[in-house]
Amino acid sequence: MALACVALASQPASAYLKLGTRVDTRTVTLQWEELPVRYFVTDAAGGGVTAAQLRDTVADAFATWHAISTADTSSEFVGFTNARPNDDDGLTVIGFENRPDQDRTLGATSFFVDTISGEILEAEIFLNSSFSWSVAASGEANRFDLESIALHEIGHLLGLGHSALGETELRDGGRRVLAAETVMFPVAYSTGTIQGRTLKADDIAGLSDIYPNLDHRRQRGSISGRVTKSGRGVLGAHIVAFNMRTGQLIGGFSLDDDGRFVIGGLEAGPHVLRVEPLDDGDIESFFDLTLNIDTNFSAKFHDRIVVVPRGGGTNNVEIRVEPKN
Amino acid sequence: MRSSVLIALLLCFTPSLSATVLLPAEFREIVSGSQIIVHGRVSDVRAEWSDGRRRIESLVTIEASSFYRGTPVRSVTFRVPGGQIGRYKSVTVGAPEFRAGDEAVLFLRSQGPAVPQVFGLNQGVFRVRVDARSGRRLVTQPIVTARGAAPETVARGARERRPLPLEQFAAQVRAALQWPSSWRSPAWRSRASRRRRT
Repeated sequence: MALACVALASQPASAYLKLGTRVDTRTVTLQWEELPVRYFVTDAAGGGVTAAQLRDTVADAFATWHAISTADTSSEFVGFTNARPNDDDGLTVIGFENRPDQDRTLGATSFFVDTISGEILEAEIFLNSSFSWSVAASGEANRFDLESIALHEIGHLLGLGHSALGETELRDGGRRVLAAETVMFPVAYSTGTIQGRTLKADDIAGLSDIYPNLDHRRQRGSISGRVTKSGRGVLGAHIVAFNMRTGQLIGGFSLDDDGRFVIGGLEAGPHVLRVEPLDDGDIESFFDLTLNIDTNFSAKFHDRIVVVPRGGGTNNVEIRVEPKN
Repeated sequence: MRSSVLIALLLCFTPSLSATVLLPAEFREIVSGSQIIVHGRVSDVRAEWSDGRRRIESLVTIEASSFYRGTPVRSVTFRVPGGQIGRYKSVTVGAPEFRAGDEAVLFLRSQGPAVPQVFGLNQGVFRVRVDARSGRRLVTQPIVTARGAAPETVARGARERRPLPLEQFAAQVRAALQWPSSWRSPAWRSRASRRRRT
């Protein structure tokens, strides 16, 4: 049964990464047109967590997204099921599955789409029970926090792509996440922390862009413009808007060959803009790499402070970057 | 001066926390954790129902130009989540998609008779493009690798991290293959866990 519809779009138009998929020459944006999202939870324990604990944790994570005051979303727990996540069976299922072969994937979200009608037939969240999980209020050493990961995956389920507002570090021959200012950063931090349960300005702006309410339209503003290099547009540049008054960071990307970007959901006030390439790995976590993402330029601050009006936008900002070589 | 102040401001507002899906790998981990490392061009992508018709996966066949690891054969087939069968399409967020004609260096995990899969969902995909200006084949995804033993932040925009000509990328792969087997991912993860407990 169709649970929702997706909008058809010729190209991604604004900030954040909204989920979409190519169908022939179209881009289908993955977005629920009918709410609440009705979901099942697998009736199975995994990674040290019971099915009931999973149900409650998933409900908490949904509630965190639904509490955003500038977006309208809702969900409904239908019941437990014996169906597995990742089964293409018409049910939206969230649950554990033991996939030791995917030893670097904590969880993943997938969609099953009718490419003719554009309907989302189902969405699934798979949580890898080959890892150890925790639902403890303050986290547990050596266990990943289930609510943090569920929050990230539900962000996908609601239509958000990954955010690049994070930083990694090389240390002792390995790589780990050092910091992030979003729950939608695509890489895991460490076990034992519950900080990923808290949405950040970037997450709130992203979801509000997909499911805006009147408050969002009235209270928030935007910055739009182009990133250029040697007079040509840069595709896939990461643009970060830093609110000098609140300290909030909200990121976006240039999403076409002309280097155009829009960052919405900004609080009114002066902003500093920084542009950087996605040259620290994992581009495929952000973009379909059949696109020609440009990583060959140096990071740069825009040379002017950009003031965002409440409920309006500052347009035609051009940020010129230089090639690395 | 002004830039450095702004950099400091941005860093101040990037508190230490994070989330979620993937456990990121350093380049030498990707190399040591892959049983097949092959450069070539995708010749076929075929979606099929798998696991008793429960899910859709795609079998991607690459015509090999060169092998950096693994037994050289003419073509290699590996699987990725998702794909389209008729009017229905299954999409997994973060999973790579391929089209016939795509050129890439692929780092594949292969265990026994199972069909290989990409290292770390998407971390083992390094696409190759022809640079319009120079005509050279470039590996577009920059390599993330440590320069020394000291902790090192992977700052975006670093001058040394850029698309590499294919032959330079191949040299980096070969150099990484010379590193000791202690780089294999489970050992690193174990060390990392111990470090986090302290």
